[in-house]
Amino acid sequence: MKTIRKREKPVSDSRTRLLGAVALIGLITAGCAGDAELDTLQPQSDNARDIDTLLDRVLVIAGVIGVLVLGAVVYMAKKQRVKSYDGDDEFPEQISHNNTLEIGWTIVPAIIMVVVAVLTTVAHFSLNETEANAYEVEVEGDSTSWEPKIVVVGQQWWWEFRYYFTEDVDADFLDDPRNLPPADIVTAGQMVIPTGQEVELLVTSRDVIHSFWIPALNGKRDARPGFFAPWEISADEPGVYFGQCTEFCGLSHAKMRMQTIAMDDADFQNWIDEQMVPQSAPPEDPDDPVSRGATAFLANCSSCHLVEGFNGDEDIAAAVVSQAAPNLTHFASRTTFAGGILNTYTEDGEWNRDDISQWLRAPEVVKENYANGLPDGELPRGMPNLGLSERTISDLVAYLETLGQKPSAEILAATEVE
Amino acid sequence: MAIIEEPLALTSGEQHAERPLGVLTRPQANGSWKDWVSTVDHKKIGIMYGVAAMFFFLLGGLEALLIRTQLAFPESGFLSADVYNQIFTMHGVTMIFLFVMPSAAAFANYLIPLQIGARDVAFPRLNALSFWVWLSGAIFLNTSWIVGGGGADCGWFCYSPNSGITFSPTNGVDFYVIGLLITGIASLVSAVNLAVTCLNMRAPGMSLFRMPVLTWMLLVTQFLLAFALPVITVALLLLLFDRQFDSQFFDPEAGADPLLWQHLFWIFGHPEVYIIILPSFGIISEVIPAFSRKPIFGYSFMVFSGIAIGFMGWGVWAHHMFVSGIGPISVFAFSMATMFIAVPTGVKILNWLATMWGGKLNFSTAMLFAVGTVTMFTIGGLSGVTHSLAPADTQQTDTYYIVAHFHYVIFGGGVLGLFAGVYFWWPKVFGHLLDERRGKIHFWTMLIGFNLTFGPMHVLGLQGMSRRINTYSSGFGFEFWNLVATIGSYILGASVLFFLWNVYKSKKEAPNLPAPGPDPWDARSLEWSIPSPTPEHNFDEIPVVESQDDWWFRKYNIEDDGSVVRISSAEDAAQKGDAVGVHLPSPSFWPLVLAIGLPLIGYGVIFNLWLCVVGGLLTGGAIYAWVLEPVDDPDADGHGHDDHHDGDDPDGELATVGAAGDHTEGEG
Amino acid sequence: MATATAPATDTHHDAHDPHATNTGISNNKLAMWLFLSTECLLFGALISTYLIYKTRGNGEVLPTDLFDIPFTSVSSFVLLMSSLTMVLALSAFGRNDLDRGKAWLLVTAMLGAVFMGGQAYEFTAFYEEGLGYTTNPAASAFYTLTGFHGAHVSIGIIMLMSLWVAANQGKLTGKNSETVEIVGLYWHFVDLVWIFIFTVIYLIPPE
Repeated sequence: MKTIRKREKPVSDSRTRLLGAVALIGLITAGCAGDAELDTLQPQSDNARDIDTLLDRVLVIAGVIGVLVLGAVVYMAKKQRVKSYDGDDEFPEQISHNNTLEIGWTIVPAIIMVVVAVLTTVAHFSLNETEANAYEVEVEGDSTSWEPKIVVVGQQWWWEFRYYFTEDVDADFLDDPRNLPPADIVTAGQMVIPTGQEVELLVTSRDVIHSFWIPALNGKRDARPGFFAPWEISADEPGVYFGQCTEFCGLSHAKMRMQTIAMDDADFQNWIDEQMVPQSAPPEDPDDPVSRGATAFLANCSSCHLVEGFNGDEDIAAAVVSQAAPNLTHFASRTTFAGGILNTYTEDGEWNRDDISQWLRAPEVVKENYANGLPDGELPRGMPNLGLSERTISDLVAYLETLGQKPSAEILAATEVE
Repeated sequence: MAIIEEPLALTSGEQHAERPLGVLTRPQANGSWKDWVSTVDHKKIGIMYGVAAMFFFLLGGLEALLIRTQLAFPESGFLSADVYNQIFTMHGVTMIFLFVMPSAAAFANYLIPLQIGARDVAFPRLNALSFWVWLSGAIFLNTSWIVGGGGADCGWFCYSPNSGITFSPTNGVDFYVIGLLITGIASLVSAVNLAVTCLNMRAPGMSLFRMPVLTWMLLVTQFLLAFALPVITVALLLLLFDRQFDSQFFDPEAGADPLLWQHLFWIFGHPEVYIIILPSFGIISEVIPAFSRKPIFGYSFMVFSGIAIGFMGWGVWAHHMFVSGIGPISVFAFSMATMFIAVPTGVKILNWLATMWGGKLNFSTAMLFAVGTVTMFTIGGLSGVTHSLAPADTQQTDTYYIVAHFHYVIFGGGVLGLFAGVYFWWPKVFGHLLDERRGKIHFWTMLIGFNLTFGPMHVLGLQGMSRRINTYSSGFGFEFWNLVATIGSYILGASVLFFLWNVYKSKKEAPNLPAPGPDPWDARSLEWSIPSPTPEHNFDEIPVVESQDDWWFRKYNIEDDGSVVRISSAEDAAQKGDAVGVHLPSPSFWPLVLAIGLPLIGYGVIFNLWLCVVGGLLTGGAIYAWVLEPVDDPDADGHGHDDHHDGDDPDGELATVGAAGDHTEGEG
Repeated sequence: MATATAPATDTHHDAHDPHATNTGISNNKLAMWLFLSTECLLFGALISTYLIYKTRGNGEVLPTDLFDIPFTSVSSFVLLMSSLTMVLALSAFGRNDLDRGKAWLLVTAMLGAVFMGGQAYEFTAFYEEGLGYTTNPAASAFYTLTGFHGAHVSIGIIMLMSLWVAANQGKLTGKNSETVEIVGLYWHFVDLVWIFIFTVIYLIPPE
């Protein structure tokens, strides 16, 4: 059942439903905030809307039952209350059972549940149909028919997104999450999809179990090591949609977020074009912070992080448990970093020197990890504090700004959480 | 139905015996603290369960307040992520395994023998063993704060591979595993013991379908425990072997599947929900009739719906795994199964309402808590239905909506019911009432605090706040309701302290107040036919039961026109509690000694295998001494024969732990 | 109205008459039945674990590659026979034929010991073929399952020997043959589990 609804649903709608669900606390939902970026009650895709519709209907049923039960209790408390039984040997009628009634109220809940079951069955199987259609994209000048499919890889505590435009991507092809075949585009923290297209996801993990969840676009799916879980996502409108890892995955589980950016066809093609371009080494100039930053990158970062065209290809195995660190080739084209918790650009659209510097200076303070102070032989989990000098940090910040195109103003604005 | 011809002797298999080695004697009760550590009296054991559970309730509550304090404001630095993860893990483990389960055990121990008209449980020493083993496991679990480098940090569900040595390198998870294994032994022994008690020790005429609903629900609970615990035992052992002996059960790199843990855990974990909730259902099924002045409505529907819940509880575990990637067909099947478990649950709620319907409702504190249980559980049950919709659950799972749901079920449905039981049976246990005025203040503050804490979590969850996050950013709309929840949690905490104050004051005031008498609530089951507090021997004479609610029918008669006529006062009808020379099982120290051995084995597995030898010798020696111990007071004129395979069960039980134990002492 | 049947002071009855319980089954025996039913779940979980993991070799040797069916058939037969001797022991005690009873207890324990020797040999042989406990998930699951069964057999042997000692001291006679029966229940259960393991684990070939 798909009902087309206006995108901006009135906030009061979600309030009404909450009232039904938790009648007793209905009163306090009055202050329910409208601008929750992770709100599950403001769906922005067919799937999310199907789920929401199903929940709506059942919440109404549940709300009615809840009100009836609570109402009966309140009614009896008012009508049948006695202060005490002292000296009161009067008894109500001693009714011990009534089989007809009891069979009745075994059957009635069963019928209600059958109704709920039918609604659920319809929604469940429609949600599990994959509807990805071929989508024409241009890759390096050649038009390619791409069935939108993105490999989503979780690790402590960030997400990687891999795009393969020409291969037939399935579990056999991908094989080992820790040793995936080279992809056309690899990005981190931020997934880009074409608007209005069903995009198939293959969700996996390089270490523990994570869960990929963009509430406005669909429910969640666990990322399980050794397994590629199929999932699906789509967005009605261009925009930035927020998500949060929802399976407890260790120390910095709270700071493992992600975003999905939906772009219209032209923007999406531009994004592909931009992401396909490798970087090259900046010209050597000791007076140029970018040049010094590139040198510092080679010295400090390149054993874990890849900048394609500059420090090698995808063979880098980072010295962390997951053996992976974010691909930084187009770092400046993303609006978020450090596992989706920091913005690459400030509210004014400026390069966010402060946060990037702080991350390079003391990542374990920004986001707790097991990186430093580990016993011998144990691999870190998360970016270690490299003890960089302030000058090196400032050079690296300058170099990172050159990696990729700055996103559009709309996207930058949409990334800000109010 | 077999009728016991000699109702005054224990049918426990406890026999007089010679002293096999001529040296081992049974300790004697003499009124000192040793009575408590050597007791095999189900009532003392029940009280000890209750007191210890209350202690862990305070501990788990303190952990809850730390969690709520951390979450009161966004980006809070009150607790580090590491400490937070340990606290929320230990909060869950403590509340489930060290508070709610032993609280239910307290009621089961104290009340099952009284409600079925027995002098004690089937195996009194095994009963003591259950308590001491549980307590030693509980203490062991919490010593990880001191010697284990912190508590477990994997969540109570402890999903692999996050619980593996790579991702949880401190010893916290080892303490979790071994602690739960030890408490599991206790629960399993107790489950067998209490199930045998219910099946075998009933008074003459107390047929199964005359048993009070509470005893029925507790019996179902014992069966759930008996069948659920072996599964978690296997899961825990596999995890222990992975962490300690490098086996490959949960290492995805070696081709293992993390879903194995999830299945084993939830095959235990879902019946566990009913293990927690059914005792409370039983309690309020006793309280509501007493304060409605009506019999329970639809006794047989109540019993059968409880049994149905017990059965269906086994077929729904994978609804905890709707987003794990178990495949759409499995998800569908478990979604459907989960929906229909709502039917017997709904029957129960409607039967409680029907019991109240037309009744004369006296809202004593116990009744308030019972009605609070019905209403709060209804809310939790209805939000549970919304989880059973597999598509909707993909949005809700692992959010605060789930946290809200299961606190409405476990706290609203479970803990409020336990408090109803505390107020109801307090006079029976301690011989004085808990003050009603303070009790009502306790109830209302607890109800308000509870709803303020967990009500907003519905909103937070639907707004997309994940579970188990140690902090959240401002801007997602989480600030307001988190603050409300934190304020609520402090009110909830205050209500618990107020309860303790009520306990203290009521005890102090008791000597100046009239004694409550055997039957202060004009109730219906056999425990009210004996003096308060319960005499050590329970019943002067084992009652012969002629109907359901036998005790009530000794006080009242229903005339042909349906009117109720009093035929006897409770004082006259009740037993006097003055019987002398009743044969009771003798105390024993060996359950305690055996229980001390088990955590030593646990420490040994973690730190130094030599400690295992010490613990194993202690445990094995205790079993040996237990078996050779004369099974009765040697000063009594013993006759009978030396048949003491009472020792079978701890021995066989240890076999399920297998890994580290010393099982050299078997049947003697 | 209900009335009590016996005066309170008359307390020293022998309540060990098995018919003095509601079910007619003695507490001890009922407890053993319940305990064994929980054991079904324990072994069920372990067997399921092995079945899930039996082909997960991580590139190393699998237990199924190493099974020596004729050898294990013989040791299984030995264990099966021990159930028969257990029945004979119980029947002898039931007739108060203590000498025979003791002898059959001893034979049962010996057969169990032979089976354990077979398991020790099997483990050693597998280990020498490169199948260590930590080799792969299949190996861990195999050793854990069969090891647990072995531990159960060992405890059974200890219980049988304890009965034998008690019988030699004159403390176990035909009067309390129920003790033998209860140990027998345990022993039959352990045998039955092995028949199941042998069929499902050893005899059903890997796909």
